[in-house]
Amino acid sequence: MLCALAKKTLSAGAFPFAILNLQSSMTLAMQCEYCNNKATVFYTQIIDGIGKKSCLCESCAHEQGITDPEGFLLGSQDIENHGEPSKPKALPTIEIPVSKQSDRCCPGCGFAFDDLKKTGRLGCSKCYDFFRAEIKNNLGGMHKGTSHTGRVPAGMLEAFKERQELEKLEEKLNLAINSEDYEEAASLRDQISKITSPEQQTKS
Amino acid sequence: MMRFSTLMKHPADWMTGADTDSAIVLTSRIRLARNIKDAPFPGWARKAERIKILPELRDKVETLSEMKDAFSHQLSELSSVQKQVLVERHLISREQAARSEGSAIVVNRNQTLSIMINEEDHLRLQSIRSGLHLREAYQLIANIDKDLEQSLPFAFDHELGYLTACPTNVGTGLRASAMLHLPGLVISDHIGQVIQAVGKLGLAVRGIFGEGTESLGHLFQISNQSTLGESEEDILDRLERVIQRVREQERNARSKLLEEDPQMLADKISRAYGQLKYAYVIDSKEALTYISLVRLGSDMGCFPKEAMKLCDSLLMDIEPAHLQHKANRKLSPEERDTMRAEIIRSRLQNLSSPVINFINS
Repeated sequence: MLCALAKKTLSAGAFPFAILNLQSSMTLAMQCEYCNNKATVFYTQIIDGIGKKSCLCESCAHEQGITDPEGFLLGSQDIENHGEPSKPKALPTIEIPVSKQSDRCCPGCGFAFDDLKKTGRLGCSKCYDFFRAEIKNNLGGMHKGTSHTGRVPAGMLEAFKERQELEKLEEKLNLAINSEDYEEAASLRDQISKITSPEQQTKS
Repeated sequence: MMRFSTLMKHPADWMTGADTDSAIVLTSRIRLARNIKDAPFPGWARKAERIKILPELRDKVETLSEMKDAFSHQLSELSSVQKQVLVERHLISREQAARSEGSAIVVNRNQTLSIMINEEDHLRLQSIRSGLHLREAYQLIANIDKDLEQSLPFAFDHELGYLTACPTNVGTGLRASAMLHLPGLVISDHIGQVIQAVGKLGLAVRGIFGEGTESLGHLFQISNQSTLGESEEDILDRLERVIQRVREQERNARSKLLEEDPQMLADKISRAYGQLKYAYVIDSKEALTYISLVRLGSDMGCFPKEAMKLCDSLLMDIEPAHLQHKANRKLSPEERDTMRAEIIRSRLQNLSSPVINFINS
């Protein structure tokens, strides 16, 4: 059952966060969870103390980058469900065919997202902008959250706070709309436009 | 500028246990990763690009007031033994030691601050303190960070925080860790449970010496894994709380061993002392095990207080690159084992036999 689980989440680009146990042979005859070949690679990943086992055949394992422990170890999205069957996520994991993916290179440094699998590192700070969706999709099991709450460089503090304030207001606005509190919603919308309009001016 | 020989002659306070309470938590370490906006990360940059950005970064780092008369070298200027010595002293990473032209290391005079330039990230700021003092170490690093951000355009994203070469460091770029000596938990066979419990809290535990899960010298490192979605304060809070709890468990384990099997403990400590004092050939695995037990004995009052400092210095001085630096030539493993035994014997010369006062006869 666990094997079937991993199949859903280990699409191209999503790799186990920590490979602690990599064995190339086992006497148990099991099927690869990607194709129907005999599984010869078994690995266990442990994230936050929760273990998950998967079995693959040699070629699928290689394709998935599992045989390369130095590879990019992005957290499997599944782990936050603590091994429970995964609910469909709003954001799909990366399923862009490899050929299409390698066409996309960071305009800043020429880094292709595929390179990440080989090196485990990105090319430059612009890569985060260019591959934002792909990177965010894979941050799931790695960190406590998905957005920064720590220190901000002095010069950027104001813009950062404004952005966070905006997100908070938008969240409130959604709540107000859902609960049909239109008076509240109108006032929130005013507050939002007050923040966004000067921002757009400075941006353009 | 500080010379390599000066650096060698005067090990930092934290390397020899300056804190009054470093019996279980030997050191606290803070590391911050920072990068320059739009410039290719060192691993992806071409050599020429690394060489070009280096002086710009190095100049800013060297002019920090904390870096007055610092030790500052390009990695290409250091021999492989010198690099390895710096790794053994935790002043540079293994990754940095493998680099040469286009990468540099700058260490302040009292070796509490080291800044690696063009490692995995453009800048890696690191501070180490004796004992459990994560906040003190962080304070120094935070001040350095503030100084540097005035003249360097750091890569920062409104959503993902400080941007790093590896997404595992993105956000705060902060890795905090402590080195713990846990012989009580290892001997009483409770270390597995503790490692599992700490792992469940999202923190990593690994052995300091030895490969994989094996730990030599009963030394372990606990560090945070997550760098995004938590503030620096939260990260330090959580880590500090967990370390305090592990320290307490180690204390309990030691008391329980004393109560339940004092003979076994007395035997282990005394034999370890004997082995170290009389060995003529000793490999590093054996040495680390016995030094750990003498260190434990020192905490239990079998040896005078200074014995702990002696053990901490030995841990460093018997490592392969330290031995080769001292010998001033390459040594075969056999030669190292002989030289290691010689150094240990001479250091233990004035350490009298253990006093065992915890056995009621």
